[in-house]
Amino acid sequence: MNSNRRPSLASWRLSILLVVAVFLALNIASRVNALTWPEILERARGQTVDWFMWGGFPSTNAYVNGYVASRVQDLYGVKLRQVPVKDIAEVVSKLLVEKQAGKNTGGAVDLMWINGENFRTCKKNTLLYGPFADILPNQKLVDGARPSVKNDFGEPVQGLESPWGSAQVVMIYDSARVPEPPRTVGDLLDWIRNHPGRFAYPAPPDFTGSVFVRHVFYYASGDAQSWQQNFDESRFNRAAAKTYKILKDLSPYLWRQGRTYPENPIRLAHLLADGEVDFAISYHPAEASKMISDGLYPDTVRTFVFKGGTISNTHFVAIPFNAAHKEGAMVVANFLISPQAQLKKADSRVWGDFPAIDIRRLDESWQKKFAALPRGIATLPGSELQSHQLPEPPSQILIRLEKGWDQHVLKGR
Amino acid sequence: MTTNVTSTGNNARTRPNPGLPVIGRLVAPALLVVTVLFGGGLLLGFLQGLGYLPAAGMKVFTLQHFANVLADPDFFRSLGLTLYISVTSTAAAALISIFMALVLTSLAQRHRVVHFIFQIPLTVPHLVIAVAVVFMFAPTGLFSRAALKLGLINSSASFPLLTNDSWGIGIVCTYVWKEVPFITLMILSVLRRTGVELLEVGKTLKAGRRQRFFYITLPTIFPSLGAACLIVFAYTFGAFEVPFLLGQTYPMTLPVWAYKNYSDVDLLARPEGIAIGLIIAAVVTTAVVASQLLTKAARRRGLVL
Amino acid sequence: MAAAGVGIAVLLPFVSLVMWSLSSRWFYPQLWPRQWGLRAWQYVFSTAGPQILAALGQSVLVAATTAAISVAIGIPAGRALGLYDFRGKDLVSVVLILPVIVPPLCVTMGLHLWFIIMGLAGSFFGVVLVHLTFCLPYAVFVMWGIFSNYNPSYEEQARSLGASAWKVLVRVILPLTFPGIMVAGLFSFLLSWSQYLSTLIIGGGKVTTLPILLFALMGSGDRPVAAAVSIVFVAPALLALLFSARYLGGKGIAGIR
Repeated sequence: MNSNRRPSLASWRLSILLVVAVFLALNIASRVNALTWPEILERARGQTVDWFMWGGFPSTNAYVNGYVASRVQDLYGVKLRQVPVKDIAEVVSKLLVEKQAGKNTGGAVDLMWINGENFRTCKKNTLLYGPFADILPNQKLVDGARPSVKNDFGEPVQGLESPWGSAQVVMIYDSARVPEPPRTVGDLLDWIRNHPGRFAYPAPPDFTGSVFVRHVFYYASGDAQSWQQNFDESRFNRAAAKTYKILKDLSPYLWRQGRTYPENPIRLAHLLADGEVDFAISYHPAEASKMISDGLYPDTVRTFVFKGGTISNTHFVAIPFNAAHKEGAMVVANFLISPQAQLKKADSRVWGDFPAIDIRRLDESWQKKFAALPRGIATLPGSELQSHQLPEPPSQILIRLEKGWDQHVLKGR
Repeated sequence: MTTNVTSTGNNARTRPNPGLPVIGRLVAPALLVVTVLFGGGLLLGFLQGLGYLPAAGMKVFTLQHFANVLADPDFFRSLGLTLYISVTSTAAAALISIFMALVLTSLAQRHRVVHFIFQIPLTVPHLVIAVAVVFMFAPTGLFSRAALKLGLINSSASFPLLTNDSWGIGIVCTYVWKEVPFITLMILSVLRRTGVELLEVGKTLKAGRRQRFFYITLPTIFPSLGAACLIVFAYTFGAFEVPFLLGQTYPMTLPVWAYKNYSDVDLLARPEGIAIGLIIAAVVTTAVVASQLLTKAARRRGLVL
Repeated sequence: MAAAGVGIAVLLPFVSLVMWSLSSRWFYPQLWPRQWGLRAWQYVFSTAGPQILAALGQSVLVAATTAAISVAIGIPAGRALGLYDFRGKDLVSVVLILPVIVPPLCVTMGLHLWFIIMGLAGSFFGVVLVHLTFCLPYAVFVMWGIFSNYNPSYEEQARSLGASAWKVLVRVILPLTFPGIMVAGLFSFLLSWSQYLSTLIIGGGKVTTLPILLFALMGSGDRPVAAAVSIVFVAPALLALLFSARYLGGKGIAGIR
């Protein structure tokens, strides 16, 4: 008896520990994951989802308000309302204030379009609900191992956001004016110096202006890949100083001598359309084609990527911690990565945004449909884009570059 | 801030006072709304500007946020820019308004259409006129296209920068377009009531045009002109939309700076945004109080009516 | 001459808006669009139609509610200030004029956190409350002016003929001050109608009025669409002006902002 006693006591303790552990695990799981997908669909029915997103892009607005909203209404009985904002960072800051004020339920934002530094801020301040991405049935169509899906600007996604589409920087030019555009960042910088006043980039922290600075940063540091791994402070400082020096010396050769900058990519697009500058920059490879068909660009406009590649990333949707309609938001997020929604989005006549899902995971009939999509006149073939992709640096590098640009290039300190 | 309201307010002196309870009941709702919402908002803003945010666990009062703002090398640049824009807009609008008021009184009631068209800017939101100003004044706007057609310039690059420029020309034009009808109508209401008769008297006394303007018209319209100008100054000093859309990337005006800080994802920037907002309020209030005191002093010496 | 100058200066911006909204292909340096088209208007009326219509409705509702409350509170206050002299009148008038001078920005930022705590942020009522702060003083001052020229002896006559307080209000006071009420209402309406930043901060994007929509579209959106939405934004206010001009016998909102 006695000899049996000790082990049994020990195993009893162990089992208590086990029960506690299981209880804790269940408890955590029940917060996030207690509902099955059919239950989520059931709860979502009749909900109104307010989706906060950058509203500056009529083709995106048209896709969301026209196509997505009517489809999720018909399929799932979810009413989708787009809430256009001029910068999603304002929404992040609003969530921060709500967190501060202790407003943990019934928040106004159900879904938001987000990535990069805003995701990092949200994650750091636990402003996000989830992980929820893995509950979505259509998540199986996404290649979760792809670097830009696994990590968002170096920040592990961990199911806290669900991919929606992917973007890659392209340079836009008018082939009637510049038949042979410079194909590397170095050549472009030379071209700018030789053609004063004919180039501009949006002022960071605008997304597109910021990514242009990152291209110069990669050029100045001589390499893009190594920044993905461990961060070397002194190496960063050297490369950053070189970047600011290049850009500061460049500013007299910019549009309006660099005294003012276009505030966003569409203002820059206006400058190109009006013939004030010879290049525009866009995160959306198909945007130029869409703008040609809308009559906003001349027919001779084309795009190119740098020989050394251009930065590409994935954009996501996320659900705030205090969202009032989380189930509805999940249903919408799931619909967004369905084959039909991704196909519609990839159509250059609609939006032309690149799929977030892995086409090879679809059955053959869907694959054919994607292959048959008309590519816009100015859009590069997918193979050329994919073979010229660079990763985004971790977002702390991005933030420091933006602050540094503000201090050294804009304010000249 | 005595507008034309008090200049016609002789009625009050002839009425018997019905007693404070009655008057109290009449003004209480308005006072309540203004003290609770406006006064409360300012007070809560002030607490936050001092870093007091109990909900966020910040319970210590500090002047650090105000000090940070005032010590920032950009502060005086932004203040100067903001003052420059609002003073220039107000002065330009006032001069044009005086001229317009004289023209419109001479037009009398014959041109009802002109009077109607003249009031249109009152209804147009600043946002819309700012869009139109970009369409017209931008380096590739309507004016630039016209200038090219007329052979005045040879490319958009030689057209002067009128939007997002360092002199805030687009901003000032937007404000002038929007505020001239307001100031003019304020002046007109006085001019129509008293000015015309006085001018007739002046004519019979053989006063010259110049004399009539400086000794009759100007003193008559001065109180309402001053009041209108103060309102315009205060508005243009604290407005966000127009400088945000038409201003330079750097430096920015105080309101744009304030909102930029307020909406920053860095929560420490928020009290600084509020501090800038309070500084804006202080500058505007000081300007208004000072001008009132000056007018009072001048009035005592008989310089103005 | 002067009339023509006024006409051009006022109407030219609208001409440029209308031209842009109807253009399909218009590149620098063409003075005239190369091709006209209805793409922007199609966007406004069909693609984004429900959204713009909802924003229009939201804007009208916010502005009308704000104007109604402003006038309802402004009438008694204006009456007290216009008809009587009383102790503390100067103080009351200074308190009521301050919101006209101090920009909405600071007050809104101060109120924001507390509106969140009270659940007013992101709500229709919260936005109306914030607009009220700036619109009410104008209504008070318009009504002050009206009551300064108002003769209350009609009320006494009506009362001596046996009219009840309610009847005096409906049959005497309101008709006599009606033009002023219209002006005060129109005025508060327009002020609320064009608010952007206070709606953005307190409404948090959820109360989507037209300025919020326009701002999101415009800093960035394509020019024909921005022009078309701008025109949609001016139209109701212009109609209000036309209406008031007819109603007030051609004087419009003369004399008061």
